[in-house]
Amino acid sequence: MSSALQEQPHEEVAESKSGYAVIAPGHTFASVTDKIASIVLRKRTPFGWFIGVAIGFMIVQMLMLALTWLLLRGTGIWGINVPVGWGFAIINFVWWIGIGHAGTLISAILLLFRQDWRTSINRFAEAMTLFAVACAGIFPLMHTGRPWLAYWMFPYPNTMGLWPQFRSPLIWDVFAVSTYASVSAMFWFVGLIPDLATFRDRAKNRFVRMIYGLGAMGWRGSARHWHRYETAYLILAGLSTPLVLSVHTIVSFDFAVSIVPGWHATIFPPYFVAGAIYAGFAMVLTLLIPIRKFYGLEDFITMRHIHNCAKVMLATGLIVFYGYVMEAFFGWYSANTYERYMIYNRMTGPYAFVYWLLIMCNGVVPQLLWSYRVRENLLALFGIAMVVNVGMWLERFVIVVTSLHRDYLPSSWGNYMPTIWDWATFVGTIGLFITLIFVFLRLLPMISIFEVRTLLPEAQVREETMPTTTTVAPAPAAGD
Amino acid sequence: MSEVHTHAAHTAADFAAPPELGRLQLLAIIAAVVGLALTAVGALLDHEQFFHSYLVGYVFWVGVSAGCLALLMVQHLAGGAWGVVIRRVLESASSPLMMVLLLLLFIPVVLGAHDLYEWTHAEAVRTNEILKWKAPYLNLPFFIGRTILYFAIWGALAYFLNVWSNRQDEDVAHGYIYERRMRTLSGPGIVLFALTVTFASVDWVMALDPEWYSTIFGILFMGGWGLSALAFVIAVSVFLSGRRPMHDVLAPAHFHDLGKLLLAFVMLWAYFSFSQLLIIWSGNLPEEIPWYLRRYSGGWQVLSIALIVLHFMLPFLLLLSRDLKRNARLLGAVALFVIVMRVVDVFWLIAPEAHHREASYVGHLDPLAVLFGAAAVIGIGGVWFWLFVWGLRKRPLMPLGDPLLEKALHHGQHHH
Repeated sequence: MSSALQEQPHEEVAESKSGYAVIAPGHTFASVTDKIASIVLRKRTPFGWFIGVAIGFMIVQMLMLALTWLLLRGTGIWGINVPVGWGFAIINFVWWIGIGHAGTLISAILLLFRQDWRTSINRFAEAMTLFAVACAGIFPLMHTGRPWLAYWMFPYPNTMGLWPQFRSPLIWDVFAVSTYASVSAMFWFVGLIPDLATFRDRAKNRFVRMIYGLGAMGWRGSARHWHRYETAYLILAGLSTPLVLSVHTIVSFDFAVSIVPGWHATIFPPYFVAGAIYAGFAMVLTLLIPIRKFYGLEDFITMRHIHNCAKVMLATGLIVFYGYVMEAFFGWYSANTYERYMIYNRMTGPYAFVYWLLIMCNGVVPQLLWSYRVRENLLALFGIAMVVNVGMWLERFVIVVTSLHRDYLPSSWGNYMPTIWDWATFVGTIGLFITLIFVFLRLLPMISIFEVRTLLPEAQVREETMPTTTTVAPAPAAGD
Repeated sequence: MSEVHTHAAHTAADFAAPPELGRLQLLAIIAAVVGLALTAVGALLDHEQFFHSYLVGYVFWVGVSAGCLALLMVQHLAGGAWGVVIRRVLESASSPLMMVLLLLLFIPVVLGAHDLYEWTHAEAVRTNEILKWKAPYLNLPFFIGRTILYFAIWGALAYFLNVWSNRQDEDVAHGYIYERRMRTLSGPGIVLFALTVTFASVDWVMALDPEWYSTIFGILFMGGWGLSALAFVIAVSVFLSGRRPMHDVLAPAHFHDLGKLLLAFVMLWAYFSFSQLLIIWSGNLPEEIPWYLRRYSGGWQVLSIALIVLHFMLPFLLLLSRDLKRNARLLGAVALFVIVMRVVDVFWLIAPEAHHREASYVGHLDPLAVLFGAAAVIGIGGVWFWLFVWGLRKRPLMPLGDPLLEKALHHGQHHH
């Protein structure tokens, strides 16, 4: 871990290949702090914020209604039935969990790879991860039918003689997702501590000062604090890194360890992980582009960040597209009747339009990102990101529904149609996500203040002044 | 990017290849003669075994070349000091001439297609519904045509990347123009690479058992070939770092970066391999599981376990150490060990398929198979390595016109 800290000062910290800096010139330590803190510690909340949170909160009411009705009536109100027993609940679960992955990649892997452009978007992306995981968690929990008994899935000694089936990937999921949620939350909180202390020190109102002071846990910014902080942060980054791969790998096992044609495919683990990062970066762009404009954060979230997010999207999108090509080729090459029929049915069956829409959204449209000019155009990028958001949802729909609805025996075939309650729950979680994002923007620094300060030229330690053997980077340079 | 190039001071003579490379070429000739002679003996004893052994050597060395081509394109896309110092090694290992050589070395595979691939037998295709279905893809003319296409694509990519790199050396002041060209080609190049490697892996290796399939196979090969190439590059860099001029260039920081990449590739290989194993094991389907069952008995299980322990666990644990990664000799030793395990992996993928269609097949790991497999790897490797060193000696060991040259030369100079 210390190897990541042991890094050289970057000669051209502010320069990228495309010429954009990671932070606009002319900023000082004070101006960075003022700008980011003023979004939260201000007298008047902008009107637009009230509109946004009101829309989100209204949709949350729909979620509440849908979930209450579900608890009263049971999962029969959803469109699931034999043969499609996994409908929206799984589709939405995988979609939300996937979206979360961008946050973990940005915060953990890019930290270890010393990518300085992560610094101004990691806080925001991590928040997005947590909220996405929260939305994801609702679905499998509710899908159990009796969510109040969900703790039965944990292996604990009990008088019922109940023990989880450890060969089932659904149980692996319980551990993968709960680990993911807790490590992500911890990583996010630890990263927040120095900034919470800044807020505590800046707040005028005594009550506000107390609240942020509680979160700051007595942070005084001493050398010892920084030393411990850096160590803890890197350990958490190390713990989070395998999670980027493992969580969605296990989600893919939910499908792949079965023998259902369309699910049982060895390519699923890497293809799901790439899809998760793809969806995550699409969501990052979907949110960043309007928020950066609304709050005037172009100095911190520069075109460099936008370009890089778009490039990651292009690369992971190509891997996902490769996955579709492989599924189609091996569907034919397998020479297995059921595999062949599965891919034929996807392309020509009752859900063919969903399949081709998916190829359009995830495979064709994102190829525009090859163009530098498209990556420069925020409106176009926002559009492409939205298309990918939809495309990734369609992908899960295709995988879940088309693989199940026509299996080995034509007599047991059936179709799947989501009900109004399926839609209300799905859209409701989007409302929950929007609400949480708005509350986050209002209450916490959406950009890491102290880390962005390290991007400034005056924070750079020159080579001549570097001691020959350092074990800890000069605080607060968190391995940027 | 600054237009003023301060490193114009460097000349080709500063980075001329050390004379010791000539000795390596002599060694390569000896290896080629001994290896190929032993392989020829194998051909007289048992021609089916011979062709499988030959395929092991062939696929391994194609993997090093193709992997180097991919790493070359990745370093053009991603930039960074780690890429500049190994660029010449990557270019020489994936030169257009190398692609021609590898295409010529494919001829024995075509000659042995009848011994290697059941689907080349008209009789078998007639009586087997699966082979009949696959005949539009698995037939000899298309098979040969596809291989020519793969090498045409790899050769074309290698040609432009090498030619532009040469021009960059000659026209240092405009190095960034060629760098931009190489970057522009590398994006689509990587896409083509992924597709060609995938279908090459299906054609050459998966089709040995024409009833078996696994959708991750192409990715498994990309990861495996990338690992072979990276281990090879590290081994060569360690050799070069012991002599001038690279002695003055390669610092612990370079090896540290390369070591981290090696660790990442070791983990990726393990991740892909484990994914395939777990999914096929849990499915336990009659059309998939025999492939693993063959590698689960008759001595092959020793290799299977060796792959887990020695191809993954040992290098993984060793490469976690920061001191090891910064120590050129130790890292070089690990890289050589990884190369050996890469050969074992390719052998494990190919060799168990020999004779498995025969009624008398008992599936033993034959010591002769090991011997002739090793002979083929060494024999083909000798020829391959000779051409590699020949290419490396022709040019300065550092790309003189690379805009990142200066940064690469000073990468981590203060961290000895």
